[in-house]
Amino acid sequence: MKASGKGPVKFRMPTAENLVPIRLDIQFEGQRYKDAFTWNPSDPDNEIVVFARRTVKDLKLPPAFFSQISQSIQSQLADFRAYEGQDMYTGEKIIPIKLDLRVNHTLIKDQFLWDLNNFESDPEEFARTLCKDLGVEDPEVGPAVAFAIREQLYEIAVQSVSSARESRLSKKSRRGSDYGSASKASGLSMDLVKLFSFKSSVVRKRKDLDVYEPMVDLLTNEEVDALEAREERHAR
Amino acid sequence: MATNAPIPGGSGEIPPITPSRPIIPETPSEISASSNSLQPPPSSSDTDRIYIPSYSRWFSWNEINECEVRSLPEFFDSRSSSKNPRVYLYLRNSIIQQYRDEHPQKISFTDVRRTLVGDVVSIRRVFDFLDSWGLINYSSSASAKPLKWDDKEAVASEPPSTVKESAKRICNGCKSVCSVACFASEKYELTLCARCYVRGNYRVGINSSEFKRVELSEESKTGWSEKETLLLLEAVMHYGDDWKKVASHVTGRTEKDCVSQFVKLPFGEQFAKDSDSEDALETFNQIKGSADPESEGRVKDGSSSPDNKRMKLTPLADASNPIMAQAAFLSALAGTKVAEAAARAAVTALSDIDHEAGKNAGGDPNGQEINGNNSERAVAEAKSLLEKEEKEVEGAIREIVEVEMMKIRDRIVHFEKLDLEMERSRKQLEEMKNLLFTDQLNIFFHTRRSRKAEDRAEC
Repeated sequence: MKASGKGPVKFRMPTAENLVPIRLDIQFEGQRYKDAFTWNPSDPDNEIVVFARRTVKDLKLPPAFFSQISQSIQSQLADFRAYEGQDMYTGEKIIPIKLDLRVNHTLIKDQFLWDLNNFESDPEEFARTLCKDLGVEDPEVGPAVAFAIREQLYEIAVQSVSSARESRLSKKSRRGSDYGSASKASGLSMDLVKLFSFKSSVVRKRKDLDVYEPMVDLLTNEEVDALEAREERHAR
Repeated sequence: MATNAPIPGGSGEIPPITPSRPIIPETPSEISASSNSLQPPPSSSDTDRIYIPSYSRWFSWNEINECEVRSLPEFFDSRSSSKNPRVYLYLRNSIIQQYRDEHPQKISFTDVRRTLVGDVVSIRRVFDFLDSWGLINYSSSASAKPLKWDDKEAVASEPPSTVKESAKRICNGCKSVCSVACFASEKYELTLCARCYVRGNYRVGINSSEFKRVELSEESKTGWSEKETLLLLEAVMHYGDDWKKVASHVTGRTEKDCVSQFVKLPFGEQFAKDSDSEDALETFNQIKGSADPESEGRVKDGSSSPDNKRMKLTPLADASNPIMAQAAFLSALAGTKVAEAAARAAVTALSDIDHEAGKNAGGDPNGQEINGNNSERAVAEAKSLLEKEEKEVEGAIREIVEVEMMKIRDRIVHFEKLDLEMERSRKQLEEMKNLLFTDQLNIFFHTRRSRKAEDRAEC
């Protein structure tokens, strides 16, 4: 058990596997390639080339995509590695993770709490279990869920780094406890103390029940088309 | 990463296994924990049978083999808590299950990694491992399924060659359209028509066993009528190997159709027209009879003579002699029994043609008569051959009997000698007994006399 307001840790994904979420969205000559997957940053860089070549070959993309894909992966990995040297403060951070994604014909909406401090957490295992429990038939949903979770964790981790940097710049010699309050100020996290105080019970309030319940929807083809058209419009 | 290089060998079979996911199975279900049984379920149709190479026989659905531990150590060295054997099993089994659902189409790495939860580089390693050991994408044809493209605005998105599993395949060797039978190698992504395969018309360094035979010829939409078959046979008899002329004689059929139909005909049909010949009918029935149980046991389709197409080419296929190569190709297409009967018939026909050429100077154009003469001659020759064989057999038996008699005679002589010896030694024994007796008597008398003398001397 870690005490609140502990010292800074080196930046990493707060999960058991230090995997980076990589998103690709490449447009070239009228063709659009969108993809999202997780990458292990400790793999050697030549794997990027291998992966890009494989993807281009499997999807029969024009060869120009190859360099674009590898560049995109490289830059995202470089961003990740840039953060790695720095400190981040996690404090007592329980954050809500929201899922609102559409994969082919399946729509998933969910919200749950995640302990950012738990460096043994496993979004992949969570995604596998979620899909199994909800009886999701489309096998592509699992990776998408894991990716969404990872992405959000990544964002929050990045935020904690930048907030740590800010607070260090603004206030010079402060104790660790203040950093805890600084992270609280971000508004995303919940206070454990408040959550588990003797006044409130551990059981969730009724008004929150709907929010925290997973919802899976299977869409028809027309709905899928409509949603896709809307997404395209938003993207432009 | 160093993987153990698999040695190419023969191929084994795995019965399809029910998937653990709630996917509607189209294959007949047979749950088997270990996939080492080589007995395919008799009711499964051809497309559901999945082949893996024999060097991958170690694969078992619920176990991890040593070579997997060696090739993919990242899952087994407990360096990271979420890369453990359970995850490896999940990845490996999902990939293989997905491949079997897609079979006979190949799956690509991208298909797989989109459906698996995990980091893509590890998935790729497992995929490559399974691919190199032939546990996936081994027995599939080289065509890919249509792609799920994200772009609706794309002008020319779908590449032309992959849309549907088109019937037209271009041979990599001779650039012609293959339609009769194809040989595809997934490893090198080559497709060769049967001719190029048999002639060895492919890259150096590829073994002929790398190729898998893909049967393409469909029964043509209309089916062959009696008239067409008759025309075909006539044409073949007249023109022999010149398929262009044959095709023109059989109006409305392409060369390749003619060849395939001709090969499919049981060869007894030629002789069956002349009902006098019994031999021919017998061989015809033989072929039919032997082909049917074979085909029932293997494949469910109705065609009798060319049974299961998944046989490898005979060892003659590599012969550089083009004629032998063609013969090997045709015999592979037609099946062993038919090829045998055809060879026999061809031999007799050839010998008869020789006779004919010698006798009929004017030539006898009527094909049917020649056929009749041939079969009669064949019968006569067969009879004479039979007699000769009988005589030979008799002679052989006689010799054997004589040899045996001589052996017995020798033994008798030997025994007689022994008998004589016995008599002699018996006589000797008698004499010796007598001598002994007289000696004993003498001694007895002597002792009596001496005792008497002693007694007298004492008094």
